[in-house]
Amino acid sequence: MRYITRRFCHSILLLIAVSFFSFALLQLAPGDFFDAMRLNPEISRQEVSNLRLEYGLDRPLPVRYERWLRSVLEGRLGFSLASNSPVAPLLRERARNTLLLSATATALAWLLALPIGIWAAVQRGRWGDRVCKFATSTILAVPDLLLFLLLLLLAVRTGWFPAGGMASASVDSLGTWAKAKDVAFHLTLPALGLALTLLPVLISHIRTAMIEALDSPFLLAARGLGIPPARRVLRYALPAASNPLISLFGYSVATMLSASALAEVILSWPGLGPLLVDSILSRDVYVVVAIVMLSALLLIVGNLIADILLFASDPRIRTE
Amino acid sequence: MWTPPSLPLRIALAACLLCACSTAWAAQPQSGDERMVTNNPPGRPGGSLVVVLKSEPKTLNPVLAEDAPSLTVLRCLNADLIHINRATQKTEPAIAKSWAVSPDGLQYTLQLRHGLRFSDGQPAGADDVVFSFRVYLDEKIDSPQRDLLIVGGRPITVQKLGPYTVRFILARPYAAAERLFDGIAILPRHLLENTYRSGGFSAAWNLSARPNQFAGLGPFRLKEYVPGQRIVLERNPYYWKQDRRGDQLPYLSEVAFQFVSSEDAQVITFQAGGADLLSGFGAEDYAVLQRQSAARHYHLFDLGPGLEYNFLFFNLNDIASKNLPEIARKQAWFSDVRFRQAVSDAIDRAAIVRLVYDGRATPLWSQVTPGNRLWVDPDIPHPPRSVDQARALLKSAGFSWRADGSLADSSGNSVEFSILTSSSNAQRTKIATLVQNDLAQLGMNVHVVSLDFHSMVNRLLTSYDFEAAMMGLVSGDADPTAEMNVWMSSGDTHLWHPDQTKPATPWEAEIDRLMQQQLVTLDYAKRKKLYDQVQEIVARELPVICLVSPDILVGASDRVANFQPAILEPYTLWNIDELYIR
Amino acid sequence: MTSPRKPWAVLIGLAVFHCLILFAGFFAPYNFAEQYRDLPFAPPARLHFVDAHGKFYARPFVYALEPDPANPGVYIANSADEHPLRFFVQGAGYKLAGLFEVHLHLFGVEGSTPVFLMGSDAYGRDQFSRFLYGGQLSLLAGLLAAALSLVLGTLLGAISGFYGGWIDAVFMRGGELFFALPWLYLLFAVRAAMPLHIAEWQVFLLLITVIGLIGWARPARLIRGVVLSAKERNFVLAAKGFGASDVYVLRHHVLPQAYGVILTQMTLLIPQYVMAEVTLSFLGLGVGEPMPSWGTLLASLQQYYVLSSYWWMFLPMLVLIPLFLACYAAADALQERLKSVPL
Repeated sequence: MRYITRRFCHSILLLIAVSFFSFALLQLAPGDFFDAMRLNPEISRQEVSNLRLEYGLDRPLPVRYERWLRSVLEGRLGFSLASNSPVAPLLRERARNTLLLSATATALAWLLALPIGIWAAVQRGRWGDRVCKFATSTILAVPDLLLFLLLLLLAVRTGWFPAGGMASASVDSLGTWAKAKDVAFHLTLPALGLALTLLPVLISHIRTAMIEALDSPFLLAARGLGIPPARRVLRYALPAASNPLISLFGYSVATMLSASALAEVILSWPGLGPLLVDSILSRDVYVVVAIVMLSALLLIVGNLIADILLFASDPRIRTE
Repeated sequence: MWTPPSLPLRIALAACLLCACSTAWAAQPQSGDERMVTNNPPGRPGGSLVVVLKSEPKTLNPVLAEDAPSLTVLRCLNADLIHINRATQKTEPAIAKSWAVSPDGLQYTLQLRHGLRFSDGQPAGADDVVFSFRVYLDEKIDSPQRDLLIVGGRPITVQKLGPYTVRFILARPYAAAERLFDGIAILPRHLLENTYRSGGFSAAWNLSARPNQFAGLGPFRLKEYVPGQRIVLERNPYYWKQDRRGDQLPYLSEVAFQFVSSEDAQVITFQAGGADLLSGFGAEDYAVLQRQSAARHYHLFDLGPGLEYNFLFFNLNDIASKNLPEIARKQAWFSDVRFRQAVSDAIDRAAIVRLVYDGRATPLWSQVTPGNRLWVDPDIPHPPRSVDQARALLKSAGFSWRADGSLADSSGNSVEFSILTSSSNAQRTKIATLVQNDLAQLGMNVHVVSLDFHSMVNRLLTSYDFEAAMMGLVSGDADPTAEMNVWMSSGDTHLWHPDQTKPATPWEAEIDRLMQQQLVTLDYAKRKKLYDQVQEIVARELPVICLVSPDILVGASDRVANFQPAILEPYTLWNIDELYIR
Repeated sequence: MTSPRKPWAVLIGLAVFHCLILFAGFFAPYNFAEQYRDLPFAPPARLHFVDAHGKFYARPFVYALEPDPANPGVYIANSADEHPLRFFVQGAGYKLAGLFEVHLHLFGVEGSTPVFLMGSDAYGRDQFSRFLYGGQLSLLAGLLAAALSLVLGTLLGAISGFYGGWIDAVFMRGGELFFALPWLYLLFAVRAAMPLHIAEWQVFLLLITVIGLIGWARPARLIRGVVLSAKERNFVLAAKGFGASDVYVLRHHVLPQAYGVILTQMTLLIPQYVMAEVTLSFLGLGVGEPMPSWGTLLASLQQYYVLSSYWWMFLPMLVLIPLFLACYAAADALQERLKSVPL
């Protein structure tokens, strides 16, 4: 219990540190949001300076940080210069879309990876394992970028799947069930692609962990005791192998926001990834900080969950 | 199997129909209204159009909008007093049905149409015009369009002379006065005045506002906004235009703007039938789309050169106060016109047109493109590419070649410099790579430095820490006054040496004089002569080495009729009120 | 893995590939910046042994390519214009090991017609030559970043797992902090702040160093997990009981248990960082023109017209797949060997 409260306090401190450091980091790159306007011959330099003053971009860093903190506590999460609105509503919609994609893909990946990884470990050395090895290595060797580009090409050439976006233009006229089907249809390719990119690492780690567990002395003892193989694998080896797997699961949760960024950009899924890239490129600093904070939060929560689960499941750690 | 409705149902339907008719009739303007009659072939009402936008609009407040997506949507929602017809590039009456100019050219008296109504049904008149201009000119609001309304150092003043008459007073005669009004939206006083008075105007009409909080005089009104995905507009039943047959415009009942962020995704969406109009794509995508045009039922149009000109320029700033000794040393080369002419002669413009734009571009030697029919000077010389000529020029300027072929200046230093480009613009980076290779034939060692856009602008306009840069400009309007800030030596976008207190060179002083003069000359022929001279100076002194102007490429689905793309923004949507679905 | 011969075949394959890259100047027929402006996006050259009249030649030859006037962008081979391939020819100069100026190339074609084994790009530059030269930069980048990441990660992860307590808390929280920050912004800032006269490849390697240093958090976390349970093993406690110092225990007893994870990570990280370099190029942070890297070669694929019309631009990516596969296979074999060493 004390451990959990301690971690919780650490997490809050960490979030504050992340916010401070990312704020400071964002001032490093030269140029700010209004620089793009300076190349417009119809807007004068004075006008751009006025805009800069109006949005407080000339104030010193601590002042701006303090104003931003206050805005966070009020629930608005800062102000987006590009969208001329508070950041919070902007993020809500996008974060929901990203979580939809990531959660679907992560669930899919784990659901596929666990049985395949365990089976490969059990089949170790035989042709089943080797086929599995080859397949996962090939998928791993295929770069994520290529995978998404090929999926895009597939969508365009065959027309079986929509080539991007989250819903068709006429979606508002459909009923709820039809709307859900439309979104699921658009979700297929990105989720599939993302799950495929997550799969090889998961399978390989699961397999490694299971093999190490299967090799340990107590498993040999269990075999000697005549315990049937299925029970040996699931009831004895799997819990022992859970140490790195739990870290991996926590990591999956933690990186849910960032892992999908590439898929979102290439397959035009309206999530946080494209928003982050656009905001970085246009120097919309408060949006960037807000997204970073959100990712950091998820990261911290994921790691916390992983550590707690580790604590709860591995007696070897509890004894310390 | 459709069965005819029962009697009670039929009576109910008839009653509804009568109601609908009477409301429709009520929506018809009363007699005494003066609608504008358009010349387009009449079309049939109904149907919806899908257009792709590169990003979400930042705001739906016309006073504050500056970015292209916002302006595109706002043009469909609002109307202006005098409009520039994108096809003819000349002004025509819009909300103002006529106007008179005083003999001294300082006063413009506009007559508004009678019976105008905003999209929420409320009447529109001179009060709204006065209110709108007050907001645009308010210094605290910081409208990007405010500077356009400052003539002769003073903002224009607006007076209401009657319920349908407004007078504008300029501080001095202004050649392009009529063109000022294009894009200045007339705002509804009944919705915005209170917000303006309480000081909350900057937050008004942003994307989180509800559709019923908006009203405008444009052909459409806001129906729905789904963040991150699309914005849908519906027909404005109070629109003030009709066709020759007397049918009220617009024909379309709905326009949906889908946000598709990358050009490639837009091309894919258009090709798959997910969008009806496409613009702003490159020449290579044109070739890909062309192959499938018959099968997928769309047509592509190459409209020829637009107003965009891409150019290379050198750092001619006065950087004595900045700590940039390397660049200061190299400025000795850049400021010699023979060096710039040699660079211009060595660049293979034909290869740029062929390799970067697939032949769909025009080589340029001066800043006005052939697409700007009213202002292009046809007598500007177009010297063919000549590396020998370039070498002769360099030799006369004191440069020499070493044994390994590299170029050295008169002090024996290697000629080596970098060209800055924006990493987000693939075509300009390609041009820079070709130029790098061309200049290598002169023995110059050129690097291409590709930075993100904001860092590049910072270097160009704030820190002046650059040597050469590849840029492009698109004027908002064909008229030269739109580019005053580029050519005036005191201008902010006088890219090679902005914000001069007095002209640094005699030819810049000459350009200043000519530009100031054309600003106040009202006769077109005389203005043309003045601006021709400006073009000749630019082609001779080469403050910017103009290279190419890409063609305007658009595409439209076959079901869209009355499609008449133009080379001024917005290329495909300028006549959206005349488009209809077959 | 089965037969002990397999790892050797893979290792030899890898060695040959690296040799090709290392001596790119020799194996590549052209300089990476040479533009053949009349032949943009030319398809890969077809080597013929039998000419139009049916005569067989032992020496392969290529036909000259001309643009098809009817079809823009398509090329037809002129069967009257044959250019035989010659070996050990003199060509464009290059620096061997950065010191000697050499002109010898493995193969080349007589006459002005170029031979594009992997096709040409938008400026008519030979993709095969650019692939070999690009490999130098990309492999260096991948290796550098992976090594930095792993070294830092192992160090910090082992210390934090072994000592626990506040050291563990500081490092792990610090790792999370590190991981969460918007490093893309930092990369843009670093790139933008570089003075103009620094060579492009130096700026690029600096960016890669930054990426490598940033990436320590993930391997550290995994190593820490293993160390946490490894240090409770009996023999570790025994060693401590014998008075072994912490460093000794870490080096000889705890870390060896993590070798499996370390190796897995290394083999996964190198291709990952090569792909990170590709992603950087997609975002505009790649090495500047005309220097090639695998990232800049592939960055053109993000444009739809290249993706759908010019299939040979995929070739660098396709060649990478067996390379990555070989890396993984080699590492797996090594891992199996290490496994069999008794602890």
